Amino acid sequence: MGVIYIGDRAAGKTHLALELANPQSHYVKVIAPDYQYIKSLLYDENLQKTKPTEAFKSVYDQYLNVRVQLPTGNKEINSYWLDTAGEIWRKNWQTENNSQWQEFLTKIRESEGILLVLPPYRQLVHDQFNREDFITQQQWCNRFQRWVDFFRYDCPKIRHLLLCLNKADLFCNLQQEANILGYIPNRSHFNWQQRNQYVYDRYFSPIHPQIRELNKSISGLSVKFFITSIYNRSLLELPWLYLGSFLSK
Amino acid sequence: MGNIVVIGPRLSGKTTYLAALSYLPALRSQKGKDNNFKIQPLNDESRDLAESAENILVEGATFESTKIAEGGVDSLPYYSFQLQVKKGLFKKIENIQLNVRDYPGEVFEKIADRNLSDEIHQEFIDECLMADVRGCLILFTHWEHGTDKFYYKVMSQFIKLMDEKQRTQNLKLAVVMSKCERGELWPGRIDPETDLFGIHLPRTKTILQDSINPKNLRFYALSTFGVLHKNDPRPNRIDQAGSNGSESVLREPNSWQPYNLIEPLYWLSKV
Repeated sequence: MGVIYIGDRAAGKTHLALELANPQSHYVKVIAPDYQYIKSLLYDENLQKTKPTEAFKSVYDQYLNVRVQLPTGNKEINSYWLDTAGEIWRKNWQTENNSQWQEFLTKIRESEGILLVLPPYRQLVHDQFNREDFITQQQWCNRFQRWVDFFRYDCPKIRHLLLCLNKADLFCNLQQEANILGYIPNRSHFNWQQRNQYVYDRYFSPIHPQIRELNKSISGLSVKFFITSIYNRSLLELPWLYLGSFLSK
Repeated sequence: MGNIVVIGPRLSGKTTYLAALSYLPALRSQKGKDNNFKIQPLNDESRDLAESAENILVEGATFESTKIAEGGVDSLPYYSFQLQVKKGLFKKIENIQLNVRDYPGEVFEKIADRNLSDEIHQEFIDECLMADVRGCLILFTHWEHGTDKFYYKVMSQFIKLMDEKQRTQNLKLAVVMSKCERGELWPGRIDPETDLFGIHLPRTKTILQDSINPKNLRFYALSTFGVLHKNDPRPNRIDQAGSNGSESVLREPNSWQPYNLIEPLYWLSKV
């Protein structure tokens, strides 16, 4: 049970989780473990960036107690944060490390919510950044098709899949989008349906056919769409606030 | 104390209906309205459901479908309500306690498959038709061409099972068309027996009328989301792409006015 983060290499999963624990929070607060502890675990002070998740530890299993402020008050999500190394999605890694792969599949099948962190694609990124560092839209769509196949065949019982198009600072005006999408209990500009439609139409159009395929093939699955960035707290918190409505006990 | 089960196919809106029922006191107090019925959640599960209504429905999201967990039927949510009824100025207030079990739609649909006999399905049938169950609230939602045939199949099998358990004479059935805010159905809500079931689900209606004692059978129309205003009958819902084709969310929470949520339950609970 719990929430799992997955995504490709360098999609920004670790940094996203680390920032979530940052005490400068709005409506989502990581109560345990402590930010400094998580930082010491994941952040390389010398390099000024997160450490790459090591492949031999296919899954970091870390208890994470998150408190979210919902319209009816505070709720806690007692969950296990599972961070995965990008390598485990490679076929040869899965064959060579079959028992670890099976262990991971068990965990993902038991999880209540999955946050799939996606990097932006080349055509989306603003031209002041080095676009060559990003995969093309076609590659991005092909990669997403592999995710669709993974969910369809390896975890056909998932209920909540949250697609987080990360590094939003590279492709949109963060503050402007946060003003529209941001969550303020009982006073939000948008509700979940409007947020979802807005992000889906604006940022996920290249994979609309795959989303339709996913919805058609997994009964009871709810796919929701988010843009996230470590530089904007409102956007960063949204997936957790959404999950909090469903998962918190 | 009345035990009532809420059954119906997948996506017929059972959980959303129960959530709206739990949230009704809050909804009424916001609008400053009062009427003949008052309902209060009594146990933790129904109170949690009222919170979920506020966090999920009012915020423009939808409930996930109810699934059977490992604990079988016993693990399914069991809601308890206190229903207070005052009809007429000088009538005494009636207090009725209702216990309602929410079953996943897939088990209901399996009734049509006569050869199927898995454990959960058997448990479901046993519990639905137990002697202390006063009535069933059966929610139907589709009315399009072809659905009558399927509902007919399910209901004829359900009637057979009632017969096996000697419940044909003493189990009340409130047969409901849910989500009546839909434009095609809304005008039919005044006389649902004729204008909804008679027109869209005639075979289902006939098999029920032929097999169930008329005093134990009634047809209802209900709408959890309702329409925008009494002078603006546009559905208070938005359909969006989602699981199983589409899912509906509440369009304007501030105009939320459910239609006919309590009447069928009240009728079922009456001796």
